[in-house]
Amino acid sequence: MERTSRISAALIFIAPLAVLVALWAVVVPVFGVRPQIFPSVPAVGRAGLDSILDGSLLRHVAASVSRVAIGTVLAVLVAVPLGILMGVSRGVSAFLTPLMRFFSVLAGIAWIPIATLWFGYGFGAIVFVIFNAVFFVVAYNTLLGVSTIPMTLRHAAASLGAGRQAMLTDVLLPGALPNIVTGIRTGLGFAWRGLIAAEMIATDVGLGYMLFVARDFYQTEVIVLGMIVIGTLWLLIDRLILVPLERATIERWGLVSA
Amino acid sequence: MKSLSLKNLAKTYFDAYKGEHVTAIRDVSLEVPAGEFVSIVGPSGCGKSTILNMVAGFIPHSGGEILVGGTPVKGPGPDRGVVFQSFALFPWKTVLDNVGFGPKMRGVPKAERDAIAREYLALAGLSHAADRYPNELSGGMQQRVGVVRALANEPDVLLMDEPFASVDAQTRMTLQDELSRIWEERRPTVVFITHDVPEAVFLANRVVVLSKGKVLAEVEVPISRPRVWDRLVADDEFKDLSNQVLALVRSA
Ligand SMILES: Nc1ncnc2c1ncn2[C@@H]1O[C@H](COP(=O)(O)OP(=O)(O)OP(=O)(O)O)[C@@H](O)[C@H]1O
Ligand SMILES: [Mg+2]
Repeated sequence: MERTSRISAALIFIAPLAVLVALWAVVVPVFGVRPQIFPSVPAVGRAGLDSILDGSLLRHVAASVSRVAIGTVLAVLVAVPLGILMGVSRGVSAFLTPLMRFFSVLAGIAWIPIATLWFGYGFGAIVFVIFNAVFFVVAYNTLLGVSTIPMTLRHAAASLGAGRQAMLTDVLLPGALPNIVTGIRTGLGFAWRGLIAAEMIATDVGLGYMLFVARDFYQTEVIVLGMIVIGTLWLLIDRLILVPLERATIERWGLVSA
Repeated sequence: MKSLSLKNLAKTYFDAYKGEHVTAIRDVSLEVPAGEFVSIVGPSGCGKSTILNMVAGFIPHSGGEILVGGTPVKGPGPDRGVVFQSFALFPWKTVLDNVGFGPKMRGVPKAERDAIAREYLALAGLSHAADRYPNELSGGMQQRVGVVRALANEPDVLLMDEPFASVDAQTRMTLQDELSRIWEERRPTVVFITHDVPEAVFLANRVVVLSKGKVLAEVEVPISRPRVWDRLVADDEFKDLSNQVLALVRSA
Protein backbone atom coordinates (compact mmCIF):
# COMPACT_ATOMS: atom_id res chain seq x y z
CA MET A 1 0.00 0.00 0.00
CA GLU A 2 2.66 2.45 1.19
CA ARG A 3 4.95 1.22 -1.59
CA THR A 4 2.46 1.43 -4.43
CA SER A 5 1.35 4.92 -3.40
CA ARG A 6 5.00 5.99 -3.39
CA ILE A 7 5.55 4.59 -6.86
CA SER A 8 2.40 6.20 -8.21
CA ALA A 9 3.41 9.52 -6.60
CA ALA A 10 6.78 9.28 -8.34
CA LEU A 11 5.06 8.49 -11.66
CA ILE A 12 2.72 11.46 -11.30
CA PHE A 13 5.74 13.63 -10.60
CA ILE A 14 7.74 12.36 -13.59
CA ALA A 15 4.90 12.20 -16.13
CA PRO A 16 4.79 15.91 -17.07
CA LEU A 17 8.58 16.01 -17.38
CA ALA A 18 8.49 12.94 -19.64
CA VAL A 19 5.83 14.58 -21.82
CA LEU A 20 8.00 17.68 -22.12
CA VAL A 21 11.03 15.64 -23.22
CA ALA A 22 8.93 13.68 -25.71
CA LEU A 23 7.56 16.90 -27.19
CA TRP A 24 11.07 18.28 -27.44
CA ALA A 25 12.31 15.08 -29.16
CA VAL A 26 9.56 15.42 -31.78
CA VAL A 27 9.47 19.17 -32.36
CA VAL A 28 13.18 19.78 -33.01
CA PRO A 29 13.57 17.40 -36.03
CA VAL A 30 10.03 17.97 -37.39
CA PHE A 31 10.44 21.74 -37.59
CA GLY A 32 14.13 21.54 -38.40
CA VAL A 33 15.12 23.82 -35.50
CA ARG A 34 18.71 24.97 -35.95
CA PRO A 35 21.12 23.84 -33.17
CA GLN A 36 22.18 27.49 -32.61
CA ILE A 37 18.60 28.17 -31.47
CA PHE A 38 17.76 24.99 -29.58
CA PRO A 39 19.60 21.64 -29.38
CA SER A 40 18.17 18.20 -30.14
CA VAL A 41 17.69 15.57 -27.43
CA PRO A 42 20.59 13.40 -28.67
CA ALA A 43 22.91 16.44 -28.81
CA VAL A 44 22.22 17.22 -25.17
CA GLY A 45 22.67 13.56 -24.30
CA ARG A 46 26.05 13.55 -26.06
CA ALA A 47 27.06 16.81 -24.35
CA GLY A 48 26.12 15.25 -21.02
CA LEU A 49 28.11 12.12 -21.69
CA ASP A 50 31.15 14.10 -22.90
CA SER A 51 31.15 16.38 -19.88
CA ILE A 52 30.84 13.42 -17.55
CA LEU A 53 33.68 11.57 -19.28
CA ASP A 54 36.10 14.53 -19.31
CA GLY A 55 35.20 15.33 -15.69
CA SER A 56 34.13 18.91 -16.39
CA LEU A 57 30.52 18.41 -15.31
CA LEU A 58 31.59 16.96 -11.97
CA ARG A 59 33.99 19.88 -11.48
CA HIS A 60 31.25 22.46 -12.11
CA VAL A 61 28.70 20.64 -9.95
CA ALA A 62 31.19 20.17 -7.12
CA ALA A 63 32.13 23.86 -7.20
CA SER A 64 28.50 25.03 -7.16
CA VAL A 65 27.28 22.59 -4.54
CA SER A 66 30.19 23.21 -2.18
CA ARG A 67 29.68 26.98 -2.37
CA VAL A 68 26.00 26.60 -1.54
CA ALA A 69 26.72 24.13 1.23
CA ILE A 70 29.38 26.28 2.89
CA GLY A 71 27.43 29.53 2.55
CA THR A 72 24.24 27.95 3.84
CA VAL A 73 25.79 26.17 6.80
CA LEU A 74 27.65 29.32 7.88
CA ALA A 75 24.52 31.42 7.53
CA VAL A 76 22.35 29.00 9.55
CA LEU A 77 24.97 28.71 12.28
CA VAL A 78 25.02 32.47 12.76
CA ALA A 79 21.37 33.25 12.02
CA VAL A 80 19.68 30.79 14.38
CA PRO A 81 21.36 31.87 17.65
CA LEU A 82 20.98 35.51 16.63
CA GLY A 83 17.31 35.03 15.76
CA ILE A 84 16.66 33.34 19.10
CA LEU A 85 18.42 36.08 21.04
CA MET A 86 16.39 38.67 19.19
CA GLY A 87 13.20 36.71 19.82
CA VAL A 88 13.75 36.60 23.57
CA SER A 89 13.51 40.36 23.88
CA ARG A 90 10.34 42.00 22.70
CA GLY A 91 12.04 45.39 22.32
CA VAL A 92 14.93 44.07 20.28
CA SER A 93 12.63 42.08 18.01
CA ALA A 94 10.35 45.07 17.43
CA PHE A 95 13.41 47.13 16.49
CA LEU A 96 15.02 44.56 14.20
CA THR A 97 11.97 43.09 12.48
CA PRO A 98 11.66 45.84 9.82
CA LEU A 99 15.40 45.61 9.10
CA MET A 100 15.19 41.84 8.74
CA ARG A 101 12.24 42.14 6.38
CA PHE A 102 14.09 44.71 4.30
CA PHE A 103 17.21 42.58 3.94
CA SER A 104 15.20 39.40 3.38
CA VAL A 105 13.80 40.96 0.22
CA LEU A 106 17.22 42.15 -0.92
CA ALA A 107 18.70 38.73 -0.30
CA GLY A 108 20.61 37.09 -3.12
CA ILE A 109 21.38 38.61 -6.47
CA ALA A 110 21.33 42.24 -5.37
CA TRP A 111 24.46 41.63 -3.31
CA ILE A 112 26.58 40.44 -6.27
CA PRO A 113 28.01 43.82 -7.35
CA ILE A 114 29.10 44.84 -3.87
CA ALA A 115 30.35 41.33 -3.10
CA THR A 116 32.73 41.44 -6.07
CA LEU A 117 33.98 44.83 -4.93
CA TRP A 118 34.70 43.53 -1.45
CA PHE A 119 35.94 40.01 -2.17
CA GLY A 120 37.11 40.18 -5.80
CA TYR A 121 36.09 37.51 -8.27
CA GLY A 122 35.81 33.94 -7.00
CA PHE A 123 34.94 31.81 -4.01
CA GLY A 124 34.66 34.55 -1.37
CA ALA A 125 32.24 36.74 -3.30
CA ILE A 126 29.98 33.84 -4.19
CA VAL A 127 29.87 32.37 -0.69
CA PHE A 128 29.09 35.87 0.59
CA VAL A 129 26.12 36.12 -1.77
CA ILE A 130 24.86 32.70 -0.64
CA PHE A 131 25.40 33.64 3.00
CA ASN A 132 23.28 36.77 2.61
CA ALA A 133 20.57 34.95 0.73
CA VAL A 134 20.18 32.47 3.58
CA PHE A 135 21.16 34.53 6.62
CA PHE A 136 18.48 37.22 6.70
CA VAL A 137 15.62 34.92 5.85
CA VAL A 138 16.64 32.34 8.46
CA ALA A 139 17.29 34.97 11.15
CA TYR A 140 13.92 36.60 10.46
CA ASN A 141 12.08 33.29 10.52
CA THR A 142 13.83 32.22 13.72
CA LEU A 143 12.77 35.48 15.34
CA LEU A 144 9.24 34.91 14.10
CA GLY A 145 9.30 31.32 15.35
CA VAL A 146 10.39 32.29 18.84
CA SER A 147 7.79 35.03 19.12
CA THR A 148 4.97 32.70 18.08
CA ILE A 149 5.70 30.11 20.80
CA PRO A 150 2.63 30.25 23.06
CA MET A 151 3.32 31.94 26.40
CA THR A 152 1.76 28.98 28.22
CA LEU A 153 4.55 26.72 26.92
CA ARG A 154 7.18 29.00 28.43
CA HIS A 155 5.16 29.15 31.63
CA ALA A 156 4.85 25.37 31.69
CA ALA A 157 8.60 24.99 31.26
CA ALA A 158 9.36 27.56 33.96
CA SER A 159 7.02 25.92 36.44
CA LEU A 160 8.71 22.56 35.75
CA GLY A 161 12.01 24.10 36.77
CA ALA A 162 13.53 25.21 33.44
CA GLY A 163 16.21 27.87 33.84
CA ARG A 164 17.56 30.20 31.16
CA GLN A 165 19.72 27.59 29.47
CA ALA A 166 17.00 24.92 29.34
CA MET A 167 14.47 27.48 28.15
CA LEU A 168 16.73 28.14 25.15
CA THR A 169 17.60 24.55 24.25
CA ASP A 170 14.38 22.78 25.23
CA VAL A 171 11.69 25.33 24.43
CA LEU A 172 12.76 28.26 22.25
CA LEU A 173 14.95 26.35 19.80
CA PRO A 174 12.60 23.41 19.15
CA GLY A 175 9.60 25.73 19.24
CA ALA A 176 11.15 27.88 16.52
CA LEU A 177 12.38 24.93 14.48
CA PRO A 178 9.43 24.70 12.09
CA ASN A 179 9.91 28.36 11.20
CA ILE A 180 13.66 27.85 10.94
CA VAL A 181 13.08 25.04 8.46
CA THR A 182 10.74 27.26 6.46
CA GLY A 183 13.43 29.94 6.50
CA ILE A 184 16.05 27.49 5.27
CA ARG A 185 13.77 26.43 2.42
CA THR A 186 13.17 30.01 1.30
CA GLY A 187 16.80 30.97 1.82
CA LEU A 188 18.13 28.00 -0.12
CA GLY A 189 15.81 28.89 -2.97
CA PHE A 190 17.23 32.41 -3.05
CA ALA A 191 20.74 31.00 -2.67
CA TRP A 192 20.42 28.56 -5.54
CA ARG A 193 19.22 31.26 -7.94
CA GLY A 194 21.75 33.75 -6.61
CA LEU A 195 24.49 31.20 -7.05
CA ILE A 196 23.86 30.72 -10.75
CA ALA A 197 23.72 34.46 -11.32
CA ALA A 198 26.87 35.08 -9.27
CA GLU A 199 28.76 32.34 -11.08
CA MET A 200 27.97 33.95 -14.42
CA ILE A 201 29.71 37.09 -13.25
CA ALA A 202 32.23 36.33 -10.59
CA THR A 203 34.12 33.09 -11.27
CA ASP A 204 35.64 30.61 -13.74
CA VAL A 205 34.08 27.38 -12.53
CA GLY A 206 30.56 26.28 -11.56
CA LEU A 207 27.25 25.65 -13.29
CA GLY A 208 26.48 29.34 -13.86
CA TYR A 209 29.90 29.79 -15.47
CA MET A 210 29.33 26.70 -17.63
CA LEU A 211 26.10 28.21 -19.00
CA PHE A 212 27.64 31.59 -19.56
CA VAL A 213 30.69 30.32 -21.48
CA ALA A 214 28.60 27.98 -23.60
CA ARG A 215 26.56 30.94 -24.76
CA ASP A 216 29.66 32.61 -26.19
CA PHE A 217 30.24 29.54 -28.39
CA TYR A 218 26.57 29.02 -29.34
CA GLN A 219 26.73 25.63 -27.57
CA THR A 220 23.00 25.44 -26.92
CA GLU A 221 23.32 21.75 -26.00
CA VAL A 222 25.64 22.69 -23.10
CA ILE A 223 23.31 25.49 -22.01
CA VAL A 224 20.31 23.19 -21.93
CA LEU A 225 22.36 20.48 -20.23
CA GLY A 226 23.33 23.01 -17.56
CA MET A 227 19.73 24.06 -17.06
CA ILE A 228 18.64 20.46 -16.66
CA VAL A 229 21.42 19.82 -14.13
CA ILE A 230 20.51 22.97 -12.16
CA GLY A 231 16.84 22.01 -11.99
CA THR A 232 17.60 18.40 -11.12
CA LEU A 233 20.01 19.35 -8.35
CA TRP A 234 17.36 21.58 -6.82
CA LEU A 235 14.84 18.75 -6.90
CA LEU A 236 17.42 16.56 -5.15
CA ILE A 237 18.04 19.21 -2.49
CA ASP A 238 14.29 19.46 -2.01
CA ARG A 239 13.68 15.71 -1.78
CA LEU A 240 16.78 14.67 0.12
CA ILE A 241 17.19 17.58 2.55
CA LEU A 242 14.20 19.90 2.81
CA VAL A 243 11.31 17.45 2.70
CA PRO A 244 12.84 15.09 5.31
CA LEU A 245 13.56 18.11 7.55
CA GLU A 246 9.95 19.21 7.29
CA ARG A 247 8.68 15.67 7.90
CA ALA A 248 10.75 15.37 11.05
CA THR A 249 9.58 18.67 12.51
CA ILE A 250 6.50 20.41 11.21
CA GLU A 251 4.43 17.40 10.23
CA ARG A 252 5.52 15.06 13.00
CA TRP A 253 4.69 17.58 15.69
CA GLY A 254 1.40 18.49 14.06
CA LEU A 255 2.31 22.17 14.01
CA VAL A 256 0.62 22.46 10.65
CA SER A 257 -2.00 20.07 9.40
CA ALA A 258 0.04 17.87 7.11
CA MET B 1 3.66 18.48 50.33
CA LYS B 2 3.45 21.99 51.74
CA SER B 3 0.80 24.48 52.76
CA LEU B 4 -0.20 27.50 50.72
CA SER B 5 -1.18 30.73 52.33
CA LEU B 6 -2.48 33.91 50.75
CA LYS B 7 -2.49 36.98 52.96
CA ASN B 8 -4.42 40.09 51.86
CA LEU B 9 -3.51 39.36 48.27
CA ALA B 10 -4.28 42.13 45.76
CA LYS B 11 -3.78 42.64 42.05
CA THR B 12 -4.22 45.70 39.87
CA TYR B 13 -3.72 45.42 36.13
CA PHE B 14 -2.90 48.33 33.91
CA ASP B 15 -5.23 48.18 30.96
CA ALA B 16 -3.10 49.75 28.22
CA TYR B 17 -6.06 49.88 25.83
CA LYS B 18 -8.29 51.92 28.13
CA GLY B 19 -5.32 53.65 29.77
CA GLU B 20 -6.58 52.92 33.28
CA HIS B 21 -5.96 50.59 36.21
CA VAL B 22 -8.26 47.63 36.75
CA THR B 23 -8.52 45.97 40.15
CA ALA B 24 -8.86 42.24 39.59
CA ILE B 25 -8.17 41.05 43.16
CA ARG B 26 -9.16 43.36 46.02
CA ASP B 27 -8.27 41.49 49.17
CA VAL B 28 -8.02 37.70 49.26
CA SER B 29 -6.82 35.71 52.24
CA LEU B 30 -6.85 31.94 52.05
CA GLU B 31 -5.20 29.10 53.95
CA VAL B 32 -4.66 25.76 52.22
CA PRO B 33 -3.08 23.29 54.68
CA ALA B 34 -0.65 20.71 53.31
CA GLY B 35 -2.47 17.83 51.64
CA GLU B 36 -5.79 19.66 51.23
CA PHE B 37 -7.76 19.95 48.01
CA VAL B 38 -9.37 23.40 47.58
CA SER B 39 -11.60 24.38 44.66
CA ILE B 40 -12.18 28.00 43.70
CA VAL B 41 -15.39 28.84 41.85
CA GLY B 42 -16.97 32.10 40.81
CA PRO B 43 -18.47 33.94 37.85
CA SER B 44 -16.38 34.78 34.81
CA GLY B 45 -14.03 37.68 35.42
CA CYS B 46 -14.08 37.44 39.24
CA GLY B 47 -10.31 36.90 39.32
CA LYS B 48 -9.81 33.13 39.57
CA SER B 49 -7.09 32.87 36.92
CA THR B 50 -5.43 35.99 38.28
CA ILE B 51 -4.99 34.34 41.67
CA LEU B 52 -3.62 31.17 40.13
CA ASN B 53 -1.19 33.03 37.88
CA MET B 54 0.12 35.00 40.83
CA VAL B 55 0.60 31.86 42.91
CA ALA B 56 2.33 30.19 39.96
CA GLY B 57 4.59 33.24 39.73
CA PHE B 58 3.67 34.03 36.12
CA ILE B 59 2.52 37.55 37.03
CA PRO B 60 3.58 39.74 39.99
CA HIS B 61 1.08 40.59 42.72
CA SER B 62 0.38 44.19 43.66
CA GLY B 63 -0.14 43.70 47.38
CA GLY B 64 -0.19 41.12 50.17
CA GLU B 65 1.75 37.88 50.47
CA ILE B 66 1.91 34.44 48.88
CA LEU B 67 3.64 31.81 51.00
CA VAL B 68 4.39 28.21 50.04
CA GLY B 69 5.45 26.30 53.15
CA GLY B 70 6.12 29.69 54.71
CA THR B 71 8.42 30.90 51.92
CA PRO B 72 7.37 33.89 49.78
CA VAL B 73 6.82 33.21 46.08
CA LYS B 74 9.18 34.92 43.64
CA GLY B 75 8.48 33.93 40.06
CA PRO B 76 7.68 30.46 38.68
CA GLY B 77 9.32 27.42 40.23
CA PRO B 78 9.12 23.63 40.38
CA ASP B 79 7.66 23.73 43.91
CA ARG B 80 4.37 24.74 42.28
CA GLY B 81 3.18 22.43 39.50
CA VAL B 82 0.69 23.86 37.02
CA VAL B 83 -1.93 22.14 34.86
CA PHE B 84 -3.20 24.39 32.08
CA GLN B 85 -6.60 24.52 30.42
CA SER B 86 -4.84 24.44 27.04
CA PHE B 87 -2.73 21.44 28.22
CA ALA B 88 0.52 23.25 27.23
CA LEU B 89 2.32 20.03 26.29
CA PHE B 90 5.55 20.44 24.32
CA PRO B 91 4.55 19.38 20.79
CA TRP B 92 8.16 18.48 19.94
CA LYS B 93 8.53 16.02 22.80
CA THR B 94 7.04 12.56 23.11
CA VAL B 95 4.63 11.89 25.95
CA LEU B 96 7.46 10.20 27.86
CA ASP B 97 9.76 13.21 27.44
CA ASN B 98 6.98 15.64 28.36
CA VAL B 99 6.43 13.80 31.63
CA GLY B 100 10.18 13.44 32.19
CA PHE B 101 10.78 17.15 31.62
CA GLY B 102 10.59 18.18 35.28
CA PRO B 103 12.99 15.44 36.44
CA LYS B 104 15.29 16.37 33.53
CA MET B 105 15.40 19.95 34.81
CA ARG B 106 16.39 18.57 38.21
CA GLY B 107 19.32 16.80 36.56
CA VAL B 108 17.93 13.26 36.89
CA PRO B 109 19.76 10.96 34.40
CA LYS B 110 17.87 9.78 31.33
CA ALA B 111 17.27 6.15 32.36
CA GLU B 112 16.05 7.16 35.78
CA ARG B 113 13.70 9.89 34.59
CA ASP B 114 12.24 7.57 31.97
CA ALA B 115 11.47 5.14 34.78
CA ILE B 116 9.82 7.92 36.80
CA ALA B 117 7.81 9.04 33.78
CA ARG B 118 6.65 5.49 33.06
CA GLU B 119 5.57 5.00 36.64
CA TYR B 120 3.44 8.16 36.53
CA LEU B 121 2.04 7.34 33.09
CA ALA B 122 0.93 3.98 34.45
CA LEU B 123 -0.87 5.83 37.25
CA ALA B 124 -3.13 7.46 34.63
CA GLY B 125 -3.40 4.40 32.39
CA LEU B 126 -1.24 6.00 29.71
CA SER B 127 1.60 3.48 29.43
CA HIS B 128 0.70 2.64 25.85
CA ALA B 129 1.04 6.28 24.75
CA ALA B 130 4.58 6.89 26.02
CA ASP B 131 6.23 7.13 22.61
CA ARG B 132 3.55 9.18 20.89
CA TYR B 133 3.56 12.90 20.25
CA PRO B 134 0.88 15.10 21.89
CA ASN B 135 -0.84 15.89 18.60
CA GLU B 136 -1.49 12.18 18.14
CA LEU B 137 -3.61 12.04 21.31
CA SER B 138 -7.22 12.96 22.05
CA GLY B 139 -7.92 16.02 24.23
CA GLY B 140 -8.71 13.83 27.23
CA MET B 141 -5.46 11.93 26.88
CA GLN B 142 -3.49 15.13 26.41
CA GLN B 143 -4.83 16.50 29.68
CA ARG B 144 -4.05 13.24 31.47
CA VAL B 145 -0.48 13.79 30.30
CA GLY B 146 -0.68 17.40 31.53
CA VAL B 147 -1.73 16.25 35.01
CA VAL B 148 0.83 13.47 35.11
CA ARG B 149 3.61 15.79 33.95
CA ALA B 150 2.88 18.14 36.85
CA LEU B 151 2.67 15.27 39.35
CA ALA B 152 5.89 13.60 38.16
CA ASN B 153 7.82 16.66 39.26
CA GLU B 154 6.50 16.12 42.82
CA PRO B 155 5.52 19.74 43.46
CA ASP B 156 4.63 20.99 46.93
CA VAL B 157 1.45 22.52 45.57
CA LEU B 158 -0.51 21.59 42.45
CA LEU B 159 -2.31 24.44 40.64
CA MET B 160 -5.02 23.69 38.10
CA ASP B 161 -6.91 26.31 36.06
CA GLU B 162 -10.04 24.81 34.51
CA PRO B 163 -8.03 21.77 33.40
CA PHE B 164 -11.04 19.78 32.19
CA ALA B 165 -13.00 22.62 30.58
CA SER B 166 -12.03 21.76 27.01
CA VAL B 167 -12.90 18.05 26.96
CA ASP B 168 -16.30 16.47 26.37
CA ALA B 169 -18.62 15.77 29.31
CA GLN B 170 -18.09 12.02 29.29
CA THR B 171 -14.30 12.31 29.35
CA ARG B 172 -14.51 15.04 31.97
CA MET B 173 -16.25 12.71 34.43
CA THR B 174 -13.63 10.03 33.83
CA LEU B 175 -10.86 12.56 34.42
CA GLN B 176 -12.56 13.73 37.61
CA ASP B 177 -12.80 10.13 38.85
CA GLU B 178 -9.12 9.62 38.06
CA LEU B 179 -7.97 12.87 39.67
CA SER B 180 -9.99 12.03 42.77
CA ARG B 181 -8.36 8.59 42.96
CA ILE B 182 -4.87 9.98 42.43
CA TRP B 183 -5.44 12.63 45.08
CA GLU B 184 -6.64 10.00 47.55
CA GLU B 185 -3.50 7.92 46.86
CA ARG B 186 -0.93 10.72 47.01
CA ARG B 187 -2.60 13.55 48.93
CA PRO B 188 -0.99 16.52 47.16
CA THR B 189 -1.93 20.09 48.11
CA VAL B 190 -4.22 21.25 45.29
CA VAL B 191 -5.80 24.53 44.21
CA PHE B 192 -8.35 23.74 41.54
CA ILE B 193 -10.15 26.45 39.58
CA THR B 194 -13.37 25.74 37.75
CA HIS B 195 -16.66 27.13 36.49
CA ASP B 196 -18.32 23.82 37.09
CA VAL B 197 -19.85 23.70 40.60
CA PRO B 198 -20.49 19.91 40.77
CA GLU B 199 -16.88 19.38 39.67
CA ALA B 200 -15.64 21.68 42.42
CA VAL B 201 -17.70 19.91 45.08
CA PHE B 202 -16.88 16.42 43.80
CA LEU B 203 -13.13 16.97 44.03
CA ALA B 204 -12.55 19.29 46.97
CA ASN B 205 -12.28 19.25 50.74
CA ARG B 206 -13.36 22.87 50.64
CA VAL B 207 -14.91 25.12 48.00
CA VAL B 208 -14.07 28.82 47.94
CA VAL B 209 -16.59 31.09 46.22
CA LEU B 210 -14.98 34.17 44.74
CA SER B 211 -16.84 37.33 43.78
CA LYS B 212 -15.44 40.54 42.29
CA GLY B 213 -11.94 39.94 43.58
CA LYS B 214 -12.97 38.90 47.10
CA VAL B 215 -13.81 35.68 48.92
CA LEU B 216 -17.60 35.52 49.24
CA ALA B 217 -17.83 32.25 51.15
CA GLU B 218 -16.04 29.02 52.00
CA VAL B 219 -17.98 25.75 52.03
CA GLU B 220 -16.59 22.58 53.65
CA VAL B 221 -17.22 19.32 51.76
CA PRO B 222 -17.29 16.53 54.34
CA ILE B 223 -18.41 13.85 51.84
CA SER B 224 -16.56 10.59 52.55
CA ARG B 225 -13.91 9.16 50.26
CA PRO B 226 -13.22 7.43 47.99
CA ARG B 227 -15.45 9.56 45.80
CA VAL B 228 -16.58 8.21 42.44
CA TRP B 229 -19.34 9.52 40.19
CA ASP B 230 -21.14 6.17 40.26
CA ARG B 231 -21.86 6.77 43.92
CA LEU B 232 -22.12 10.56 44.05
CA VAL B 233 -24.60 11.18 41.21
CA ALA B 234 -27.38 9.92 43.46
CA ASP B 235 -25.95 11.13 46.77
CA ASP B 236 -28.20 13.60 48.63
CA GLU B 237 -25.39 15.20 50.61
CA PHE B 238 -23.57 15.88 47.35
CA LYS B 239 -26.68 17.38 45.76
CA ASP B 240 -27.39 19.61 48.75
CA LEU B 241 -23.82 20.92 48.87
CA SER B 242 -23.78 21.54 45.12
CA ASN B 243 -27.04 23.47 45.32
CA GLN B 244 -25.73 25.49 48.24
CA VAL B 245 -22.55 26.46 46.32
CA LEU B 246 -24.55 27.10 43.16
CA ALA B 247 -26.80 29.54 45.04
CA LEU B 248 -23.72 31.36 46.34
CA VAL B 249 -22.21 31.61 42.86
CA ARG B 250 -25.53 32.93 41.49
CA SER B 251 -25.65 35.59 44.17
CA ALA B 252 -22.03 36.60 43.51
N1 LIG C 1 -3.65 41.18 31.45
C1 LIG C 1 -4.74 41.85 31.88
N2 LIG C 1 -4.84 43.19 31.70
C2 LIG C 1 -5.92 43.87 32.15
N3 LIG C 1 -6.95 43.30 32.79
C3 LIG C 1 -6.92 41.97 32.99
C4 LIG C 1 -5.82 41.18 32.55
N4 LIG C 1 -6.06 39.89 32.89
C5 LIG C 1 -7.26 39.88 33.51
N5 LIG C 1 -7.78 41.11 33.58
C6 LIG C 1 -9.06 41.48 34.21
O1 LIG C 1 -9.05 41.02 35.54
C7 LIG C 1 -10.30 40.47 35.89
C8 LIG C 1 -10.14 39.04 36.38
O2 LIG C 1 -9.70 38.23 35.28
P1 LIG C 1 -9.44 36.67 35.44
O3 LIG C 1 -8.92 36.19 34.16
O4 LIG C 1 -8.64 36.42 36.65
O5 LIG C 1 -10.93 36.13 35.67
P2 LIG C 1 -11.45 34.63 35.80
O6 LIG C 1 -12.20 34.55 37.07
O7 LIG C 1 -10.35 33.66 35.60
O8 LIG C 1 -12.47 34.55 34.60
P3 LIG C 1 -12.87 33.28 33.70
O9 LIG C 1 -13.79 32.47 34.55
O10 LIG C 1 -13.57 33.88 32.53
O11 LIG C 1 -11.61 32.55 33.34
C9 LIG C 1 -11.19 40.61 34.67
O12 LIG C 1 -11.98 41.75 34.82
C10 LIG C 1 -10.24 40.78 33.55
O13 LIG C 1 -10.78 41.56 32.53
MG1 LIG D 1 -9.86 32.17 34.07
